[in-house]
Amino acid sequence: MNKSMSRREALRWLTLTAAASLVACQPTNQAQNQPQSNAQPAEPVDNQPVNTPQTNTPSADQAYLSVVHGQDPAAITEAAVRALGGMERFVQNGFNVIIKPNICTDYYSYEYGATTNPIVVATLVSLALGAGAGRVRVMDYPFGGSAESAYVVSGIADAVQAAGGEMEVMNPAKFRSTQIPDGVSISNWDIYQDVLDCDLFINVPIAKQHGLATMTAGCKNMLGVIENRSAIHAQMGERIPDLVSLLRPELTVVDAIRTLMQNGPTGGSLDDVQINNTVIASHDVVTCDAYATRFLGLTPADIPYIVHAAERGLGVMDLNSVRIDETSL
Amino acid sequence: MKPASKSSRGQAKTIRRIRRAVQVIALLLFFGLFIFVTYRTPIPGVSDIFYRFDPLTAITAMLAGRVFLTGLALSAITVIVTLLFGRVWCGWICPMGTTLDIFKPGKHRQKGSSNPPPEKWRMIKYLLLIFILVSALFGNQSLLFLDPVTMMTRTTANAVWPALSHGVYAAEGFLYNFDFLWDGLDVIHQAVIYPIFRDVRPVFPLAVPLFLLFAGIIALNWWAERFWCRYLCPLGGLLGLLSRLSPFHREVKETCTACSACVQRCPTGTIDPERDFASDPAECTVCYNCIETCPNGSAEFKWQLPKKKHGENLVYDPSRREVLSTIGLSAAAAALAQVEPITKRSPADLIRPPGADQVDFEALCIRCNECVRVCPTQGLQASFMEGGWQNLFTPRLTPRIGYCEFNCAACGQACPTGAIPLLSLEEKQHTPIGLARVDRNRCLPWAYNIDCIVCEESCPLADKAIRLEILDVVNGRGDTVTIKRPYVVKELCIGCGSCEYQCPMGGEAAICIFAYTEAGGYAGNDPTFVDSDNQN
Repeated sequence: MNKSMSRREALRWLTLTAAASLVACQPTNQAQNQPQSNAQPAEPVDNQPVNTPQTNTPSADQAYLSVVHGQDPAAITEAAVRALGGMERFVQNGFNVIIKPNICTDYYSYEYGATTNPIVVATLVSLALGAGAGRVRVMDYPFGGSAESAYVVSGIADAVQAAGGEMEVMNPAKFRSTQIPDGVSISNWDIYQDVLDCDLFINVPIAKQHGLATMTAGCKNMLGVIENRSAIHAQMGERIPDLVSLLRPELTVVDAIRTLMQNGPTGGSLDDVQINNTVIASHDVVTCDAYATRFLGLTPADIPYIVHAAERGLGVMDLNSVRIDETSL
Repeated sequence: MKPASKSSRGQAKTIRRIRRAVQVIALLLFFGLFIFVTYRTPIPGVSDIFYRFDPLTAITAMLAGRVFLTGLALSAITVIVTLLFGRVWCGWICPMGTTLDIFKPGKHRQKGSSNPPPEKWRMIKYLLLIFILVSALFGNQSLLFLDPVTMMTRTTANAVWPALSHGVYAAEGFLYNFDFLWDGLDVIHQAVIYPIFRDVRPVFPLAVPLFLLFAGIIALNWWAERFWCRYLCPLGGLLGLLSRLSPFHREVKETCTACSACVQRCPTGTIDPERDFASDPAECTVCYNCIETCPNGSAEFKWQLPKKKHGENLVYDPSRREVLSTIGLSAAAAALAQVEPITKRSPADLIRPPGADQVDFEALCIRCNECVRVCPTQGLQASFMEGGWQNLFTPRLTPRIGYCEFNCAACGQACPTGAIPLLSLEEKQHTPIGLARVDRNRCLPWAYNIDCIVCEESCPLADKAIRLEILDVVNGRGDTVTIKRPYVVKELCIGCGSCEYQCPMGGEAAICIFAYTEAGGYAGNDPTFVDSDNQN
């Protein structure tokens, strides 16, 4: 073969090789499966969280924590937010809002108490849009079944879309290794960037029983915006507060309408569900969780991650020290 | 005379155009069904439409499974069409054939010295067909992985599509590094990439070997065009045999000037200059290339009674002796298959799809990997040696890669032969496919006194087949701590593998699924099971 490579051939090879190496060499977050502990130096490429969370301290006429009981999920959700000063306290015109319910699996519908009540989520979407939000997205990262299927089975997809919100299936490409400056057990983790970048992050957990945490509500709901969540379980009591220290949801609304009392967090039996018809809201996720413990027959001191979060100043655990507005509709 | 020939050429050109359009539509239909008819959007009876029209899989599955499969009766249409028109399946419909037409040497290379294999090689496909049919009679469908439709689905599901998906996602991930592209990428992702590729990162252990097998078949196109269809394809062999009876075949008129133009254009190389440019109906795919090429319209397809001529033996037609030896060889191979240990005891890591134990799975499975395609978690994978040679490419659950999704019964809906029975979601959720086992030497709470419970958390059953034993232990630092140790309730476990999938241990999980066993009154999500200790 004495024929030398033509220009076209050379270019073709060059382009193909370049494209292949580009694709092959690009660092993927997925490959990183090991949790980072404080013993390891943080990678220099890590994102520095830019926006320090707003303090959002309530003014004199606003409740620190609002608790509303009632039959109508939409009405009690609205009332709970109103007691905090209304959605206008949290939303400014054109805000990019992300709402994070708990949609842990696609196994059962919301009646089984494993996923957040769709009406609570949809009401928050409407309130945010009504207060001037530019875009409201709802998302979670289910561990059982696909996100799309879980969104539908939970009933949240239909309700949110009817309220004018968008359901986003989390894209693995948007998780980035992010520093957790106040982390005690973990110093960086792969976090969904949109949640860090958005203007307002609303946390809408459901309070329910969980085998290890004993209760999951607001703080543990943060596990839905990170990669490799099962590695959090090893030192859950410290690692959940670490995530809270980074993510700092500006508003937490706990769905305690139907409470899964055992066989959580996935559920599946209506016998395990207790009707409490309550919604709890606060800017302070730790206080929300502290209050929610009563629905599972616990006290805040029973839950290590609540205790540690309070000790680290991430929120208030002592319910006697804050103003609680409790009403029934 | 001349205008007539011109119009017949024009007609041939039109027919050839129609053929190419049909080929493209069939291939697009194949990929369309492949991509869009998934577990979220099942269209029962449609996703496996190419199998319903494939007479080879219909015959072998019914022979091997000893059942009449109504769903595959549509393949009678292909048989009738072939009896009428010849191997039109190969030239017009077959997704494999079209793929081979797409990947063929460019025109500038065709002119070079073509040195195709000896004509006698065409016999291979007939012998392979006999081998497959006789094996099926013995209840064995191991070689069905050579059916062209299964080849297409399996290769696309295990290698081509995952590689494409990975490439797209890697490129997208790279672009997501640039913040200013973020919003545009979001739009593209939601509108195009997600609906096509979904959100599961593709992982397939057999991607490389399956791709190489397929690439090898395509590469043979450079030796002889449609090498696979000429020499190897058992379905082509079956349809070829039927085509001999077809009354519609090519005829060369006296006006032929022996210019050999058609010989060059024939994709299966069956036009023989030494036999007055006649072709073998068993090899001809009715592609109309030759009719269109013929400069004076000397060749045409005509309705005519099958002549005695077509009964003549060509050099590659198997002789009685060759047929008989192949039958003997098939019987020997079927006997050899019985020597494999799998026939004595099924290995514990060979976890079959839900319901497979209710039917004669290994006899019915045609290795098409439709189930692998639709499995939303990629838990179903083509097996390699886990079930011995005879079960090569049959599906097995690999919980470390993906679990059997609780809210899904797609594999049964996709299976063309009923090897995976059609179970309702409710039935599937009560059908055990395996049983979990905690490895107490590896499990964090059991071995190291570290809390974990991820397996219990992930168990989808309402009553939790994984329970937690709470006790106080002294850890390595000498502290007394309360930990929760997982144990499995075998009356409830359905072996879905969520626990094994989620187990945070690196490498092999500390809780593993083993294949279904009835030992010990094991029922799986038993609705009658009453327990007293489930009060966490």
